[in-house]
Amino acid sequence: MTSYSKEVLADLAAGQLPWPQTKRIMSAYKDDDRFFKMVAVHQDRVAWKDPILLPVSDHLFICQSGDERITRCECGHSFGDYRKNWKLKAAIIVRNTEEALREIYPNSDIPDPQWMEIREFICPQCGTMHEVEAAAPGYPIVHDFEPDLEGFYREWLGKPL
Amino acid sequence: MLDKPASALRLRERLLDSERLMEETGCYDGITELTLRNQDPLKFETLHTKLRAYCVSAREMARRISASPGVREVGEMVVAIYTPEGDAIALSNGIMVHVHTMSRFIKWMIKNNYEENPKIREGDIFANNDAFIGTVQVPDVMDVVPIFHEGTLVGWAGAVCHELEAGGITPGGDVCLAQERFTEGLFVCAEKIGENDEIRRDYVIRCERNLRMPIYWVLDEKAKVASCIDMRESVQQLISEIGLDYWMKVSKEFIEEGRRAQLARTRQLTVPGIYRGHTFYGHVTAGKPGFQLLGDPDWLYNIPIEMEITTDGKITMDFEGTQPWGYHSMNCTPAGMDGGMFVTLTQHMNFEGLVNDGAWMATELKLPHGTWTNPDNEMVATATSWALLLPAYGVFQRLLSRGFVARGFVEEAFVGQVNSPMIEMGGESQYGTPFGMAHFECAAAGSGALAIADGLDTAYVGWNPESDMGNIEVWEQSMPMVYIGRSIVPNSGGAGKYRGGCSFVSTWLINKTSHLRLHTSEHSSRVFDNGGMCGGYPAPTCQKHRAVRNSNIHELAAKGEPLAHAPGIDPDVSDYEKNIGGDHVVVEGPYITAPHKSGDIFSHFYNGGGGYGDVLERDPIKTAWDVENGFLTRQAADQVFGIILKDDAEGYPVADIDATVKRRAEIRKQRLAKAIPVSDWIAGERGRVEKADFAPEVKKMYTSAIKLSSRFTKELSDFWNVDAKSIFMPGAKP
Repeated sequence: MTSYSKEVLADLAAGQLPWPQTKRIMSAYKDDDRFFKMVAVHQDRVAWKDPILLPVSDHLFICQSGDERITRCECGHSFGDYRKNWKLKAAIIVRNTEEALREIYPNSDIPDPQWMEIREFICPQCGTMHEVEAAAPGYPIVHDFEPDLEGFYREWLGKPL
Repeated sequence: MLDKPASALRLRERLLDSERLMEETGCYDGITELTLRNQDPLKFETLHTKLRAYCVSAREMARRISASPGVREVGEMVVAIYTPEGDAIALSNGIMVHVHTMSRFIKWMIKNNYEENPKIREGDIFANNDAFIGTVQVPDVMDVVPIFHEGTLVGWAGAVCHELEAGGITPGGDVCLAQERFTEGLFVCAEKIGENDEIRRDYVIRCERNLRMPIYWVLDEKAKVASCIDMRESVQQLISEIGLDYWMKVSKEFIEEGRRAQLARTRQLTVPGIYRGHTFYGHVTAGKPGFQLLGDPDWLYNIPIEMEITTDGKITMDFEGTQPWGYHSMNCTPAGMDGGMFVTLTQHMNFEGLVNDGAWMATELKLPHGTWTNPDNEMVATATSWALLLPAYGVFQRLLSRGFVARGFVEEAFVGQVNSPMIEMGGESQYGTPFGMAHFECAAAGSGALAIADGLDTAYVGWNPESDMGNIEVWEQSMPMVYIGRSIVPNSGGAGKYRGGCSFVSTWLINKTSHLRLHTSEHSSRVFDNGGMCGGYPAPTCQKHRAVRNSNIHELAAKGEPLAHAPGIDPDVSDYEKNIGGDHVVVEGPYITAPHKSGDIFSHFYNGGGGYGDVLERDPIKTAWDVENGFLTRQAADQVFGIILKDDAEGYPVADIDATVKRRAEIRKQRLAKAIPVSDWIAGERGRVEKADFAPEVKKMYTSAIKLSSRFTKELSDFWNVDAKSIFMPGAKP
């Protein structure tokens, strides 16, 4: 059965693994022990102790915090109950003028800000940009992911939450 | 033989029976046990590999028969082997989107009693390019031949080529000016086009008299038929070795195994739950010649997608809340939507070569009736379905990738395929003859980023996994234009920790013609349609066209003056305007204009992919390399990524790490100072929603979505705490 060390997976996640080795991992049969090893890689990276239950983005994790399950930024900031849309607790920068769009697209044609805006969702504590939405003005903020955490652990991982 | 009435019912009944068994047992054709696989797994796997080899070999052989640079250079072809009921058992590489669309075509013929009339006999050749029967768009012409063994129908061999010219209202295949079915080009609607392994002469004559460049279509027909006959003979030989009974059972087991493999793969790579995303497409045609005022000339489409992965591994994609079909060429049929799903799955989940129609059976698409995904009017045009399909399935890739990231398989996460415009042309060739062609160098756009690396530069499109732009010299043989530039477009990948793959721009001098019609399709405007992920930005919107009529390029060349070979990096003034005299033209959206002639210059941009991760985490050293090689501008490195570059002794950019760290700390501080709580933003924005203070096209988008979807109406109302229906449809019943 395919399996990789935690160190290899840490390098893979950090984009530091040499390409030939990365390519071999891509082409090989997948390693069934990946999930918990990768969670351990993330757990080593964060400064806080709450056990990570599920990574949901590059720097966002659902973790067990006392009796609660919350979405937490790598810096430690809590976005609250994992079942709610974390974006609603984030800070936001909206680019809805030509000038603001031009800052990100200095050398290209840009969209019409009457038709489309960029919404940057930022951690209010560390300033990490967790997600960018490109949406028509007035479009509701998207709740990207509602994982079936219970079903995942119970039926796919065969482990209690 | 199946041309006898007594047996004519059998295939149709068999198909309905197979569907009933699937419904009742949840397994393909009622196969609850993989008996043959369990008995002798090695034999089972060997046979499947053989079938795949038959397909790959037949396709490669056939590509040498084709005259089309689309098929020969870019590989716009796929072949597959099917069960008698029309389910794909094995397929080649190539444009795999059509493996399942061909399946629909075969089933359509069976359900429409083709066994009775026009009959299904050994040596027959059937063709189709009608998307409501089973394809994506008119240029995707498919041929199938039945495979018989001692008088019994034992399967089908099928092949598809994307034609470079379809005889529509504008030349080329992706006919952007088509607003109804009747302007899309030459339709072949599940037609018997040949008997006894020979294409009918009257069919060829119809093609010759209705196409601008029949040599492509007709030789592609011969290539497809040759590949089908090749696969048929291989299967017949195989059956003589393994026996008919074994073949009939094993071919079905392959599909059931494919279905189970897809479910298992989903359980292995993802996390169950609900995933959501959206994209947009803007269409701008007001004032452009040729467009009939059948609907709004400018419009905005929203494409929301909700994907559910259940704990049994089934993936369901729901398009509720999207826009109605329209009088434009970008509508899609359920066959096309199936095809988009299939080609995405083959690349992102089933890349081990065992993929077949079983993978598709493990998924479900919810396509709301009356929307562009499932029009309730079969007269609509679908000539450029890809314009909406591509951004939609780019979202699908991002949704799947969210699951891959969550599960720890970061190496599989991919920000997705892109929508990228293409060029169609026709008129008088450089040889003085009539011609028509779609330029397929578009088959090498930039890809979205990965979660661990930058996207592929000029090397990927979702619709052809063997993405290739083809050789300049070959394209020049086929059109009255010569390249004066083909360059990477700096910053064309979305910014991020890992940037999207960059695209390229081509610049041509129109040459040896007095009448060249140039048109572009799949040309979204005014919006971002290729999004980013996890903090990465979307790729830039489609760039405008820059052209020069009556240029003085020959005079400049004679004097040895510098020429412009690319538009440059100033969006307000192109390098053509700076360096070349003539009548400069800048066109937003689809390029539809008066014919060009020798001496004119035309340029066309392709699109890059979205970025992944926060820009402030991008590697400064990699960025210096990007700037040195033209993938990023210095301005973007500084302004967008916060990376300070200095020059080394030879003038090459190198990263100033200390200065970069300081600059990034400043940017982070600025972000925090500028950002406001989302709750405050919602409270402030609510007033604008209540007043519907939006551009007319945006308002229309909301009104249309509300008319079609109560769920969308509720989501919009709940989010802003307003009554969306009364705002966007005043006077309508609540």
